[in-house]
Amino acid sequence: MAEISVADVHPPYLYPDYKSTRLRAPAQPLVRMAPSPLEAAGPAFPKHFVKASEADLTTWGKSAPLGEKMVLVGRVLDEGGRPVRRSLIEVWQANASGKYPHPVDDHDAPLDPNFLGKGQLLTDDEGRYRVVTVKPGAYPWQNHAFGWRPAHIHLSVFGNAFAQRLITQMFFPGDPLLAIDPIFNSVPEAGRQLLIADLDLEHGVEGVALGYRFDIVLRGPRATPIGV
Amino acid sequence: MPKPTPSQTVGPFFARELLWQDGGKVLFPGHGDRITLTGRVFDGTGAPIFDALLETWQADAAGKFPAGGEGARPYGYGRVSTDTDGAYAIETVVPSSFKGAGGETYAPQISVAIFARGLLKALHTRVFLAPLEEIKDDPLARAIGDPERLRTLIAARDPGNPEIYRWDVRLRGVGEAVFIEL
Repeated sequence: MAEISVADVHPPYLYPDYKSTRLRAPAQPLVRMAPSPLEAAGPAFPKHFVKASEADLTTWGKSAPLGEKMVLVGRVLDEGGRPVRRSLIEVWQANASGKYPHPVDDHDAPLDPNFLGKGQLLTDDEGRYRVVTVKPGAYPWQNHAFGWRPAHIHLSVFGNAFAQRLITQMFFPGDPLLAIDPIFNSVPEAGRQLLIADLDLEHGVEGVALGYRFDIVLRGPRATPIGV
Repeated sequence: MPKPTPSQTVGPFFARELLWQDGGKVLFPGHGDRITLTGRVFDGTGAPIFDALLETWQADAAGKFPAGGEGARPYGYGRVSTDTDGAYAIETVVPSSFKGAGGETYAPQISVAIFARGLLKALHTRVFLAPLEEIKDDPLARAIGDPERLRTLIAARDPGNPEIYRWDVRLRGVGEAVFIEL
């Protein structure tokens, strides 16, 4: 494999501006290991693990949720550009008011009885995925004074190997809150653009939903870690 | 070549989205003596971490990597969160050792990924279900060397109940577990 330094794009464990990292980031250096044959394999999700309806977050309730309807499309690839097939992707997000249906979310914003903000799907043979949802709202958090998280969608991606496991967040282009978000800015500058979706109108639904594209690249399952 | 997508924290709000009913009960196509891997997760001040997500992936009792699944669940994979005491529990089988491509032997172990608020990337490690003297030839055990550090990855069998393996995880500071960069 060519030189792809994950250090160029992944955030460090310790990023003091994001306060929770101060007590949870390991202080010792990590031990660099080649993935074991076990980690080069991973859980296999049966086809019927997901229902097609679970990729549409807007049909869960009795009527349509509030907010700006959107379609999120993308492909899951490995570092060699190969499609990652039948990878489970889980998505979750706040509603259009920036509220999660969680008891520990104390943001004074309304829940939407027609929006649970949770979905899942398996990528197809080309590594593609498509999710229908509403644009999540920004919300305040207590990390720092006047802190607000930019609108984001959480994505959990399994790939085909335990070593490929990735949880990330997708952000929206042109959001002024990106500049003040320590979680987004924990990513080295060279990687930040990779977390921002592109407007992709043609994959939206004419007159109904805006389209966004967010491709996801996982490490190659057979890639040799640098330095090993 | 495309650049890898950067990791971001799982955040505090994932329990309703990522946890499965009986996610801590690991399924296998065959049989094996059931055991429980249990312990607590602590931060750098020694306080329990009440909002961590633990995922486990392992070989079966014969050392085979499970393919496929049952019902709507993949074999060999466990997923739980910690509770208010920082405690977790995975009901599974003791995996057998397995061989690497170069003929090296991997001691009985479970691969673990930990996600949490405050973790911008998953913490990967391997927990051993065998005593220190039986894991010395394992690739990770050899890479660590120092037995004191290696002990942070050994699940100790409960002397009063052989079906229980205890493994506490300290993310930072005194007794910090060894984490690996895959």
